[in-house]
Amino acid sequence: MTDTVTTDETFVHPALFYRTELEYTQQTVSFLREGLTAGEPMAVAVPGPNLELIRTGLGADAEGILFLDMTEAGRNPGRIIPRVLRGFADAHPEGRVRIIGEPIWAGRSALEYPACAQHEALINAAFEGRAVTILCPYDEVRLAPDVIADARLTHPTLISAGREVVSDAYDWEAVVSRYNTALPPAPDAAVFSYGSEQLPEVRRFAVAQAVRLGLAGQRLDDAELAVAELTTNSVVHGGGNGTLAVWAEAGQLVCEARDAGRLNDPLAGRRPPEHGQLGGRGLLLVHYMADLVRVHTGDEGTTVRFYLTL
Amino acid sequence: MDVPHVEGRPVPAVSGRAVLEVSPLSGRSGIRARGEISAVTRPSWEEALSRLARQHTGVSYLELADVAFVDVAGVTALAVTAMGLGEGRVVVEHPPPQLPRVLEMFWPHLSQIEVTP
Repeated sequence: MTDTVTTDETFVHPALFYRTELEYTQQTVSFLREGLTAGEPMAVAVPGPNLELIRTGLGADAEGILFLDMTEAGRNPGRIIPRVLRGFADAHPEGRVRIIGEPIWAGRSALEYPACAQHEALINAAFEGRAVTILCPYDEVRLAPDVIADARLTHPTLISAGREVVSDAYDWEAVVSRYNTALPPAPDAAVFSYGSEQLPEVRRFAVAQAVRLGLAGQRLDDAELAVAELTTNSVVHGGGNGTLAVWAEAGQLVCEARDAGRLNDPLAGRRPPEHGQLGGRGLLLVHYMADLVRVHTGDEGTTVRFYLTL
Repeated sequence: MDVPHVEGRPVPAVSGRAVLEVSPLSGRSGIRARGEISAVTRPSWEEALSRLARQHTGVSYLELADVAFVDVAGVTALAVTAMGLGEGRVVVEHPPPQLPRVLEMFWPHLSQIEVTP
């Protein structure tokens, strides 16, 4: 971190642009060895093949580092902050923690990408003023130029070809709002309008539709819980009523709640609650159990969609 | 509405507005609930939990075989109540599947709650 002045309370969030496996391994291993020297708790959450590169590169030094396959732990990018990053950082409150997080890989779909970019942007808000270092590798060869351009907005520092520079494009809020795009209704969705009186009924409607579309077992229980949270949010915070739509697309079940409310807190659903805290778990639960969550919010209302692979 | 229900779970008696009936257990310290635990029925659920906490000594029982659904706030109210008990534990019998799922997600090692499926 040669170009960055760090204090005990500074959040450090560089993007690492890499072009080869060798460069990836050298840069990530050197980053982790710095942490080993400093005695920092460390976690690595990257796609499986890259996990192996890092493990092999570290050899015996890999012991004591938490390794997570990001394609599972971070399948839904909306749960990476609460579950992966804060999960690790909050468990190590003494001193600086060091994490490698690679939430965007070449296989991410066009549907997932906006949520991925917003996640990268929101990391800056979630960790402001905390003694945490999160290095985010980007595959400059296989990712689209737009993705690389967004990484320059979501990361205050950039590492490329071994050099670290301050990003002159850094503007994470611009990325949050750019991907806050309208979610057009699905033409073949089954739809149910609800107010507080219909909360049990809309939940049962969602279960029936999910069963019809092929969801079963724990995923079905999860869908019921998630629908209950979204529809209750509409009734309590979103103007008192809303519309639920359920459909299937590309092998996934989609449930969507629309209401007249507005989400003013960009980190809603991404803060792990205190153990004895009464509220604040509804949207978090949706993020934990879904494979993807997409949100659009504005003056005209809020739409929250979750996807479960069938 | 003609709706297939999750196998093994009771269907609430009323198709529209949610209901929750709570009664004391006979012969054991605790309560039996029937219906569903959601935003609409939360006041009676929280009141029942407060009563359970006031009467708690050692082990209290919650019989939930006739509860078709519990939401996150309902499980939270139970977890917070259990954490506030001075001693002992709450044994939750035959809960709907959401209850162990939410406990595992947010309070994975809560010693004050024992779930018996």
